[in-house]
Amino acid sequence: MFKMIQLIAYREYQENVKTKGFWVTILIFPVIFIGMYFLQTALSNATPTRYYLLIDQSGQYEEAVNIAIEREHQRRILQDFVSYLLENRTDMDLDLTAANTSSSVDQLIDDVDADEVAALDEWLDSGGLNFALTMASPYLEDDAPPYEQPDPQFIEADLPRSVELNVSPEEIINQLRPYLVGDRLITANGETGNLFALVLIPENVNQDISRPGTTPVAPDSTAGVQYWARNLTDSRLPDAISASINAEIREREYNQLGVNSDTIRNVQRTRLPLNQLDPSAEAGEEAVSMADSFRQFAPIAFVYLMFVSLMQNVQYLLSNTIEEKSNRIIEVLLASVTADELMMGKLVGIGLAGLTTIAVWLLSFYIFIVSYDSNQTELISEILEVVLSSELIPWFVFYYFAGYALYSGVFLAIGSLCSTLKEAQALIMPMILIQIVPIAMMAFVVLDPNNAIVRALSWFPLFTPYLMLNRAAADPPMIDVVGTTILLVASILLVLWGSGKVFKLGVLRTGQPPKILELFRLVRAKH
Amino acid sequence: MQESVLSLTNVGKNYGDFKAVDDVSISIPKGSIYGLLGPNGAGKTTTIRMILEIIKPSRGDISILGHPSALDVRNRIGYLPEEKGLYKKMKVWAIIQYFAMLKGMKKQEAKDRAWELLEKYGLKDFAEAKVEALSKGMGQKVQVLSAVAHNPELVILDEPFSGLDPVNQTVLEDLINDLSNNGQTVIFSTHVMQHAERLCDHILLIAKGKKIFDGTISEAKATIPRRVILETNDSIDALRSIAGVNNIEPFDTDNNEVSANQWQVQIAEQVNPQVVLKTCFEKSINLNRFEFNEPSLHDVFVHLVGEEAKAAEFR
Repeated sequence: MFKMIQLIAYREYQENVKTKGFWVTILIFPVIFIGMYFLQTALSNATPTRYYLLIDQSGQYEEAVNIAIEREHQRRILQDFVSYLLENRTDMDLDLTAANTSSSVDQLIDDVDADEVAALDEWLDSGGLNFALTMASPYLEDDAPPYEQPDPQFIEADLPRSVELNVSPEEIINQLRPYLVGDRLITANGETGNLFALVLIPENVNQDISRPGTTPVAPDSTAGVQYWARNLTDSRLPDAISASINAEIREREYNQLGVNSDTIRNVQRTRLPLNQLDPSAEAGEEAVSMADSFRQFAPIAFVYLMFVSLMQNVQYLLSNTIEEKSNRIIEVLLASVTADELMMGKLVGIGLAGLTTIAVWLLSFYIFIVSYDSNQTELISEILEVVLSSELIPWFVFYYFAGYALYSGVFLAIGSLCSTLKEAQALIMPMILIQIVPIAMMAFVVLDPNNAIVRALSWFPLFTPYLMLNRAAADPPMIDVVGTTILLVASILLVLWGSGKVFKLGVLRTGQPPKILELFRLVRAKH
Repeated sequence: MQESVLSLTNVGKNYGDFKAVDDVSISIPKGSIYGLLGPNGAGKTTTIRMILEIIKPSRGDISILGHPSALDVRNRIGYLPEEKGLYKKMKVWAIIQYFAMLKGMKKQEAKDRAWELLEKYGLKDFAEAKVEALSKGMGQKVQVLSAVAHNPELVILDEPFSGLDPVNQTVLEDLINDLSNNGQTVIFSTHVMQHAERLCDHILLIAKGKKIFDGTISEAKATIPRRVILETNDSIDALRSIAGVNNIEPFDTDNNEVSANQWQVQIAEQVNPQVVLKTCFEKSINLNRFEFNEPSLHDVFVHLVGEEAKAAEFR
């Protein structure tokens, strides 16, 4: 009996694993994943330099805006430099917490993490990039590449000579409209390009300042600062301008009220750190590290992995069964082995193919991480390490096999009743849709794993593998674990028993799949 | 009595009210080639499936190789189903090996056997090809080989000749004879009588699920009266007195016209038709025609199930 199952399983495994389609399906997942990673990096680096024009008829804010845009540029350098540091410094340790920072590099990284505005002030005060490079150099790895700062994203363009400025805002806009809509190109630093935005500050803009108690300005009016641009989605420039002008206005208000603005800023930078602690950890280890947070989210990765892998297996199970059925190979097989042996062999063989998929995925991610070493991939490798060393592994293995046995039992029975893949696909649709429920819930379940609704749904056997795996990291109540497991195992036995019967009858059937009622009669009939 | 490898006792199968097989009893001697004949829809495939216990009979007992169920002796049986099919993506030698291993052969042994068979039956050049690259007929030969690779004591072939060209039909006939010479018992179903006539020791004729005839080929032929056709203008009364001449009547030609000078002389099984000829010379009966043909199995088939087969087609 066992030998036959082994033989059938081996053939099924080989048949799937040896096909090109199998490897294409397997490899497309990491390729897309890795491709997305590079694409995202490429996209964020490829944002073109944008040229803007600032016309300040009031003569009060131009300096503040220019400072703000330079500040935004410095902020990007700071961010970029921090990730450069994380990538290239020695003694990488992601288990860092705010409590045990040691060097000034750690301090810088931590400051950026905690309060970017303050860190940026600090950065500018201390001399920006040049100072940071000097400070960081002892901590960098010997083979670290030299730091390249990012290009500025916003550059002020030269005002076209023909534009007359001593006219009303409307007329200025009319003069510049061909540039704004892209009919004419503008020059800046000797290069030409499209004018991205025009910031127009009317002469008497201060009349439009709103204070507590004044009537708010209608949003569609041209009151206040005018920001003209065709691109409505990139909000960095308008945000920077709005923030800088408001900061300037507030500074003046402080002065009028006789308040020292430095004092205010210092007060605003006062902070008390909040450390997340885990009561279930051992003394001295309570501080919640990044790894701990990953651990909480690891079930999502497992649930998703299980879903993708199960869906793939099911396709093979269906198509192989239907091939045997339509070829009538099944008859030869049944003259050699029992229907139960055949079914078990198929389940085991295709299950192994599914495990191969998972192994290849993990391996390809591992290779990617090893061969492409960067800050983000360190993060992925950290996640991978957490996932692989997680106490969830046994849970995953158990629920993977349980979910596989449960779902594939049903799918195999369906496959045995259909003569074509088309017929089968119509019948398996409800089974696929039902899995959407726990998949759609998975992010929510991680946040609140022992919610009453989640607990109740966990008792539905088709959801149990997904939901209980999803909840496994949060120590679900013992009654849930034991109860759902018993129910799950019982339903697996029931499903396999029923599918065995349906399979036996179904594989020799020809023609249309039976109606539900007929199916019940088939299963109950004695043969 | 010869040792029986397979016996069916009042075996029947119902699908609802429809009796697919109606109380068939047979006994198949060891080492024989046994033909299962019958028109389309007669119940041949159902009978074979019951013998193999792919489906369970509704009633009756089966004894196969001394066991009540084919499942107990699966590895001693080889089976080729009516509708042929193989795994398309597998190599020819590997599929024969696989089926042989399912029948309990060791891996290497099965592989050697596969190559041996492919060489013997002219398929060696295709051994490394994938099944999907084979023609239908070649695929069928491969499937026959995979059914017999494990040297089964009992080989059951359902319509093995259908779809084969005449050359390959001969190859298959040789293969079946080889098996029989090797002491293996072969049961095959067909509706082409020539194969059965050339190959079989015994035949079972069924129609509408009922056993019509079971016995040797010569016994089958005996069910049709042997007859001599004469054409003469003389009186044939003298022939009536020959021992073994059962009946003389005007000969029915094909277009159902009774001609006055043609006669049909029915003779008993043991009688040599030469006796009739000799009597004609002695009694000076001038013959324009003397015709004696052994009935073919085809005649037997048409004679026994002709009307029923026609009726079945128009049902």
